[in-house]
Amino acid sequence: MFNRFVIANPDRCLGCYTCMAACVVNHQKQGFQAYPRLFVTYSPAGTMPVQCHHCEDAPCALVCPVKAIEIKDQMVKLNEGLCIGCKMCALACPFGAITIQGAPPPSVQAEPTSLLSSLLAWLAGHKTIGIKCDLCDFDEEGPQCVRVCPTKALQLVEGGDVERWSKLKRAGAVTGAVAIFKGAEG
Amino acid sequence: MTNSVPEIGQYSDVIFIIGSNTAECHPLIARQVIKAKERGAKLIVADPRLTEMANKADIWLRVPAGYNISLINGLLHIIVKENLYNSDFVQNHAEGFDEVARAVEDYTPAYVEKLTGIPQQDLVEAARFFGRAKNATILYCMGVTQFSYGTGNVVSLSNLAVVTGNMGRPGTGVNPLRGQNNVQGACDMGCLSNVLPGYLAVTDEKNRARFEKEWHVRLPSKPGLRIPEIGDAILNGRVRAAYVFGENPVMSDPDSSHLRHAFEHLDLLVVQDIFLTETARLAHVVLPAACWGEKEGTFTNTERRVQRVRKAVNPPGEARDDWWIFSALAQKMDYGRMNYLHPQEIWDEVRRLVPEKFGGISYDRLEKARGISWPCPAEDHPGTPFLYEGGKFATASGKANLRPVFFDPTRLPEEKVKQFKHALAGKITELPDEEYPFTLTTGRRGYHYHTGTMTRKSWPITQVTPQQLIEINPRDARKLGIEDGDFVKLSTRRGSIAAKAWVTERVPEKTVFTSFHFWEANVNELTINSTDPVACIPEFKVAAAKVEKITPAEFQAILQEKKKKYLVDLEEEVAGQSKSGRREAHV
Repeated sequence: MFNRFVIANPDRCLGCYTCMAACVVNHQKQGFQAYPRLFVTYSPAGTMPVQCHHCEDAPCALVCPVKAIEIKDQMVKLNEGLCIGCKMCALACPFGAITIQGAPPPSVQAEPTSLLSSLLAWLAGHKTIGIKCDLCDFDEEGPQCVRVCPTKALQLVEGGDVERWSKLKRAGAVTGAVAIFKGAEG
Repeated sequence: MTNSVPEIGQYSDVIFIIGSNTAECHPLIARQVIKAKERGAKLIVADPRLTEMANKADIWLRVPAGYNISLINGLLHIIVKENLYNSDFVQNHAEGFDEVARAVEDYTPAYVEKLTGIPQQDLVEAARFFGRAKNATILYCMGVTQFSYGTGNVVSLSNLAVVTGNMGRPGTGVNPLRGQNNVQGACDMGCLSNVLPGYLAVTDEKNRARFEKEWHVRLPSKPGLRIPEIGDAILNGRVRAAYVFGENPVMSDPDSSHLRHAFEHLDLLVVQDIFLTETARLAHVVLPAACWGEKEGTFTNTERRVQRVRKAVNPPGEARDDWWIFSALAQKMDYGRMNYLHPQEIWDEVRRLVPEKFGGISYDRLEKARGISWPCPAEDHPGTPFLYEGGKFATASGKANLRPVFFDPTRLPEEKVKQFKHALAGKITELPDEEYPFTLTTGRRGYHYHTGTMTRKSWPITQVTPQQLIEINPRDARKLGIEDGDFVKLSTRRGSIAAKAWVTERVPEKTVFTSFHFWEANVNELTINSTDPVACIPEFKVAAAKVEKITPAEFQAILQEKKKKYLVDLEEEVAGQSKSGRREAHV
């Protein structure tokens, strides 16, 4: 069975960032690093959030020197506790889906930035590590980005989906080929 | 809005979005646009920036900032010439069609292309889509209104809708997308300098009498000052005290350094807000107010829908509902009639005073219905999701009044205006020149809200949009040696700010864009206080600017300056080292 992943339909994506905000909130609640794990990317070709493809032979997992990234539960998992922040995974990722960030632990009250004097810009328990999509594995409701999107542009693709779509497309391809050879409308 | 939001997804065949970054600023309305598109509706977007709506449009008209009137007149020209107008509607429900038709004669596709660079074919195609649509709707926002000729822009759009008969039916109309949850409600309640609640002009004695009877006071018969006029009025000594609530004008008003300078000359500045805003930091007295989740009442949204709001949590500390603070102040000033106990009493007073609009919208009904759109004159009236049904307009004759609108970027086309009875005209106040070669245009970014008073306190939102960015076209960036992420200084004749550059095709050449969310680099220090003669709205959307690359050290120095400016000496004061004794604030 293939790994699961979330993909966005650029025809529907508004670039409104709701998925990113929900991602931060959901991980913050769980005590994980409070940063987005998907990135709304504007381009003249189209706009959509870019995130981990949960590659079958994931280069990030291959280069990780401490085995913090492993492939299990049909996904590519990063253990935030083991990660040493060496950045190799971010370099290896072909989609730019891993960032290196650090947030204060939830027990530390973050100062509002506009009040902070530069001398006081110090954060207790700050740990900088690799951050990547975990499909909200800890959440029964599944990936929050999928749930909150106002236009339903995102969807979770599970193991069987790719094969099912390919079958449909192959069926379509046959109809097309038959039409050409018979010289008739398919 | 003349029409309601769900009509877009359900009925509109052509959607014309102009001057609105709908996807980022009104995502739930953009959702309706996507729904309509998936149903087969055509999307036309006019915007200088490649916003996500422009990216998804069937036709994107890349109109330079400020040239909307030329574009709309161009559309009208084609619609008249190719007989795409609705002659029945124009004859029976409108006045002044012939004048408008004559006024747009010069705006040929070739002339519009010369002026705006919009390819003739695109303009013709857009006009044909709009003219042939069964139900065409216009959505617009601040990219239409925030000009010294904003009224002219809006009038042109209503000309377009009326000439094609797109009024008074579901999925049509001229729809301003309002920016705040209750800005429509605030205007409905008379938070404008020239009207009483229900848009009743203060200059009319009958209107005043209606309210004087209930309130037992004499009401002023002359309109008051408008916000952009306040700065000069303070410096002239006409205004000595200001009471600011629900606004952060030292961040949000044009040429904000001038306004800040004026505020320093006030005898008394009172600021009532939910947080200690940049304006509140200048105040003599700060009154803490409750926020939306902490109070009862109603909000009226962009589609005129009055909705019940319920308290979720109690306000913190000494914070109180705005209405409670106003009432308490009134009592202290010996006016005893504002002794309300609940917002429902105030709403019932509004219903009594303006029954023609709000009479039928009772709290009882609001408890059951998910909001009711005004006008709703009686308890058995269903409300009015769309206005002007059957082509009946709220004018003396009951017909729509069309008015010719002219535009010339460099000078007011006065000789043309003279040829018509009710014509409007506009020109850009500050065009780019050799010293300031860029056009600066401003707006919002996804997820931050206005001056950031609320959104900058949220960690998740700060992660989505952490800092100010100045959008600049790759060609311009290359010429100036600027790479994506470099620090740049953006200046106009009024000041300068510094931030990182975002090198992107989103902005056209010779145009830069940035937002007013960040005090570190607040674009309103740069905008120009040139206002519309009718509505007094300032020209936030065009000013002449220059861009220079700076070093990180120079950026740091500018940042320290801004920090001093906006945070005042708050940190020292909190540490008990208040020097001036000026702010004895209750925070």
